[in-house]
Amino acid sequence: MRPEILILILGMALVTFLPRFIPMALFSRWVIPGRLKRGLEYFPISILSAIVFPILFFNGEGRMEIQSPYLLSAIPVFLFAWKVKSLWGSVILGMGVYWGLGFVL
Amino acid sequence: MDSHQFRNGVRAALPIVFGYLPVGMAFGVLARQAGLTATEVGWMSLLVYAGASQFLAVEMIFKGAIWVPIVIATFFINLRHLLMSSTLSLYFNRSRLRTLGLLAAQLTDESFAVAMSNTSRIENRPGYLFGLQMTSHLAWITGSVGGAFFGGLIDHQSYGIPFALPALFICLLVFQIRKGHHVFIMVVAGVASLFFRWVFPGNWYIILTALVASGVGIYISSKLKV
Repeated sequence: MRPEILILILGMALVTFLPRFIPMALFSRWVIPGRLKRGLEYFPISILSAIVFPILFFNGEGRMEIQSPYLLSAIPVFLFAWKVKSLWGSVILGMGVYWGLGFVL
Repeated sequence: MDSHQFRNGVRAALPIVFGYLPVGMAFGVLARQAGLTATEVGWMSLLVYAGASQFLAVEMIFKGAIWVPIVIATFFINLRHLLMSSTLSLYFNRSRLRTLGLLAAQLTDESFAVAMSNTSRIENRPGYLFGLQMTSHLAWITGSVGGAFFGGLIDHQSYGIPFALPALFICLLVFQIRKGHHVFIMVVAGVASLFFRWVFPGNWYIILTALVASGVGIYISSKLKV
């Protein structure tokens, strides 16, 4: 391995590890105030919404634009996940619909 | 570490594996085009293990960037893990620092999302989370090294592959809706994320959305007394 790539990988590894580790190390040992704890309850749903919605409305270059194949595939996956509660099923269904739309759109 | 929990975690990771293998492969192919060797690709996927920043890194290498700007960009892209790490800390108040370090090193958006879909399975059970994350990590390494060695074995733009991880996230988002007001939080977070994505560069939108939407969540739950 070239030394400059080794330095790059170690640097990236360090700055990626610290934000992953520090809160877990600190907050698992401190008693978290109730109010903050209530806020943490809403992190998963907020983070997941923030991951999902921009995928549907932004293109690869970061411009706002309705991503029809993504949006149209998202609707049946959303309903299926809601009714059937199956992760595998949702992934397979989503891929199938997206693939199929590729022939139609 | 409990081997039964570990196995359950491995099983829970399989949908992630399905998404990581082709994306990892695409990364391996791009990394080779940017001049990295298969060994370097493997070490990066092992030690860094953060998809978005690895893609950005090879793009920057391709354009001739040196390590300093790439490391700075990586830091900002992966800051969002602060939120996930904070959330996970609630469930591991009895684990040793060494265990936490291992769990933290393999934390990704996808494994966090799966872990949060059933928090009773992770509460003070590092074995489960370790199995889940280790399996996902292995898939990422396998995919990226495979892509670097053999090139794209499959066309990762076809067979609906681009929608595998989005579908995973959509389903896991639905799993988070447990009470009526969660739908409202989701809509607030969705609109906020589009706004922040539009206004701010990079992926600050994830952190900003989480802070705003959780604030709204605290306010609503105190009004509704839920």
